[in-house]
Amino acid sequence: MIDESPLELLIQETEQINPAILLAEQFMRRDAANLLSAEEIKRADEILHIGEMEIEMLQRHLTAFVRLPASPSVRIPPGF
Amino acid sequence: MSVLLTQRPLLSGRFGERLSRSLEYLRFKARSQNAIAAHNYVAAVISEQQKYAIYREMFPKEWACSTASFYTRGYYQKYSERINELFNLVNGKCFPLLDYWYNDPDNELDNFAIGPMNIGLCCEEIDFESIHISYAAAVVFYYPDDAWDFLNYRFQVSADDFPAISSDPHPDVWERDGNLFGHLLRLIDHSTGNPWLDNSCCQPADWFQFDRETIEDLSKEYNDALAAYEKLKPLDELIEADPRKMLSALIDFWNTGKLADDLRLILTKVEDLNDKE
Repeated sequence: MIDESPLELLIQETEQINPAILLAEQFMRRDAANLLSAEEIKRADEILHIGEMEIEMLQRHLTAFVRLPASPSVRIPPGF
Repeated sequence: MSVLLTQRPLLSGRFGERLSRSLEYLRFKARSQNAIAAHNYVAAVISEQQKYAIYREMFPKEWACSTASFYTRGYYQKYSERINELFNLVNGKCFPLLDYWYNDPDNELDNFAIGPMNIGLCCEEIDFESIHISYAAAVVFYYPDDAWDFLNYRFQVSADDFPAISSDPHPDVWERDGNLFGHLLRLIDHSTGNPWLDNSCCQPADWFQFDRETIEDLSKEYNDALAAYEKLKPLDELIEADPRKMLSALIDFWNTGKLADDLRLILTKVEDLNDKE
């Protein structure tokens, strides 16, 4: 486990779409005149919370990634 | 422009609503394939749905008759025409929601502030001619120079005609025993417990959430605030009829917390009448 590269760790992660994107698509396809029930609003609030946590986590990772020192590649990409 | 105007009827009604909905979907597809935009959109939908529920519960007849769009943006551009209609209904039937600061189409009303119905004594210039005479009389306790000038002009009385005024009121004046002088002093002191009357421009605004419970509470308190000013009318009449006697009694009440027996009877009777109204 400890010998795995960051890329390998990344590849092993579960691939998923932020649930807020899926719910937004779902909301877009429904008629606004059909009001949401209290249960649906509660569920949507939960999904919003999960989506928000995921956004914050990604932003933290992005900030950490930007702070990493640059390191030269052993291979020169074609064209350079 | 004339071409657009002649085509406008085609965009109204059911077709117009479907077109608006389609445009909203296209805008969503064009901008919303990222989590933050989707998150904001879902939050907006939930907020709108909660307002639709408020509209339907509080104004069922208007909801049933409404043709306002769920998709086209209204004057307040963050909200649909239907929600704008709700804001106007609250403004017209409950309390002045859209007066004061809300004249910008970019305003958000999910959390809103209410405008004060009382005079901010510390920073407003008091227009004595336009306020209740009883209120003007009680300003002698806070800004005596201006108030005595007005009372002298109006009734030809001056501070020298009356007992000296204590720097602080007697603690008993705040007791809620139902007399009009106490009511007047609580009103002018901004200590009624009613947000419409206790708010002032000099302090940070209280913020209210746009939900049914808050709207109903603020409606009731708005009517109570109007009634609080109505209650001053009999006191105004008593002061007009005998300014020296009533000003003297008001100053005594401030200094001692007590009412003369004959006045207690009069003011309590007036208060009873107001309560019955």
